[in-house]
Amino acid sequence: MSDALSDCGSDASHDGGQEDVMTPAELIEKLEEAWLNEKFSPELLSNRSEVVECVMEQLTHMEANLQRVKKGDAKASIHRMEIDRIRFVLSSYLRSRLQKIERFFPHVLEKEKSRGEGEPSLLSPEEFAFAKEYHANTETYLKAVALKRMPPNLQTVELLKAVPEPCLDSFVFLRVKEPQENILVEPETDDQREYVVDLEEGSQHLMRYRTISPLVSSGAVQLI
Amino acid sequence: MDPLEVEFLAEKETVKIIPNFSLDKIYLIGGDLGPFNPGLPVDVPVWLALNLKQRQKCRIVPPEWMEVEKLEEIPFSMGLTKLLLTHASDNIPKADEIRTLVKDIWDTRIAKLRLSADSFIREQEAHAKLDNLTLMEINTIRTFLLDSLNCMYKLRSNLQQGSSKGQFSNY
Amino acid sequence: MESQSYFPVQPGVGVEENFLSLDDILLTHERLPVRTECTFPRLGFLDKSSDSQDITEGTKMELPLWLSKGLYERKRRVLSVEMPKVYREGWRTVFTADPNVVDLHKMGPYYYGLGSQLLHFDSPENPDIAQALLQTFIGRFRRTMDSSQNAYNEDTSALVERLDSLEKRLFKSGQSGLNGFQSWEKGQAAQLTASSLVLNYRKRKMMDVQS
Repeated sequence: MSDALSDCGSDASHDGGQEDVMTPAELIEKLEEAWLNEKFSPELLSNRSEVVECVMEQLTHMEANLQRVKKGDAKASIHRMEIDRIRFVLSSYLRSRLQKIERFFPHVLEKEKSRGEGEPSLLSPEEFAFAKEYHANTETYLKAVALKRMPPNLQTVELLKAVPEPCLDSFVFLRVKEPQENILVEPETDDQREYVVDLEEGSQHLMRYRTISPLVSSGAVQLI
Repeated sequence: MDPLEVEFLAEKETVKIIPNFSLDKIYLIGGDLGPFNPGLPVDVPVWLALNLKQRQKCRIVPPEWMEVEKLEEIPFSMGLTKLLLTHASDNIPKADEIRTLVKDIWDTRIAKLRLSADSFIREQEAHAKLDNLTLMEINTIRTFLLDSLNCMYKLRSNLQQGSSKGQFSNY
Repeated sequence: MESQSYFPVQPGVGVEENFLSLDDILLTHERLPVRTECTFPRLGFLDKSSDSQDITEGTKMELPLWLSKGLYERKRRVLSVEMPKVYREGWRTVFTADPNVVDLHKMGPYYYGLGSQLLHFDSPENPDIAQALLQTFIGRFRRTMDSSQNAYNEDTSALVERLDSLEKRLFKSGQSGLNGFQSWEKGQAAQLTASSLVLNYRKRKMMDVQS
């Protein structure tokens, strides 16, 4: 199976690039991490197209193999079950990204526009096309049903202001994968003081997304 | 998250089965399984164990914490417990007793969780360590607690509003 | 699993309003008692109790929040806004004593939303109002949580009738967590059911046939 990964393995690691070659099992684990992080983070996370593409490749490869197996093969049915499970995670992951794009489209596009060169892009090319089309459709729709009947000076809606931004101050549940020291917890009220916490490996916490969002992108914590 | 998705995650856990068939090693994308030999215990993911069990191809060895005496000591995965109790109760000694116990422990734990949630809100805390909470427990209170914390955050930012009034947006 | 195809824009809560939120649009229609601080020429027809052509300075009337907010300016006094009584000191004392006894639906139903919006208008009482809103929310939290997490498969109308619209929304999210868990535990979650859209469609078709 490892031959299928040879062209994916080198660029598969998003964060740091220590692991040069991923096993298929590690790849599936990466997909599941990305899935849960995306489900629970208040904002849209950077795309993981490289993981998605490698998983797709694995699935295609496996399905091609199964074509050659004769009906009733005991192993084939087990392989099919596994494929179904992976497909479920993959679609759920992509779907939760699309839902966030629909909810935050002006901000997502704005962030993508102001992205510096060399910074990883938030959206995959397909998602970018989707976001632009969604933006255009929303504008056309608002124009057609209401705005064109308004006085000329009131015919625009600034979608960046009208559509709520993701709230980075939301709380999230997380599990620690790589221990962290001295994470600063901001006070909630005037009579509290800020303090630091250590995040031990395997421990679980409830805290503000803003405090730990860099750790989500680096993979040091997993949202749960 | 849908409870079925929590269950889906629980199905990834490993459980020991005793197969009644033979089959060579299987090379799944997520790792290798087997080989399977009649009467020889082997580790498989729960989703496969349940499927084989339904087709009467194996007996499931209940995890060692799944005993009346041990359940009260550690936080157990509700998803896994329910899956095994539903689909493999004939392989679990004292399944009925365990089922009742699990329900009672769950109710107690949820009551405790609510108590902590209330104090988290009341004290307006910024961080909580929750090592003993299982995913299913988090999941039943997640939306409600997170939405409430969000509302509270917004109401608290009203307190700062006092000094910077006057400029509202055009909406 | 998540079968919702449309995600309504949530209300803004606090001083922000969400332009595309239906709840916030309804909130901006709440009426506030105001007093005009200058003459509004040729708008007399808006005030049904007077025959004059203008609205004169010092007229007391009720205006919706959106209009009061639009006309209000700190520098040039156009109008002043009077606190609705539920935000005044007398009621604030009641809330401090026991926030759970108050029927926030009757007093609101946008107690938190409108209260937050009032902070846009200058008043020495603003810090106290902001504090009262927060403390009321915290004081009522336990009850909102318990009722939303305990009521399974029963008529919830009595439980929600005294809740403000924000609390009602939280109640609903608590209920969906509870119901999801309960039906999973009973093993009903795995059964597919027709979406309510399909059911309604069928009903409508039936009616078409009957008529």
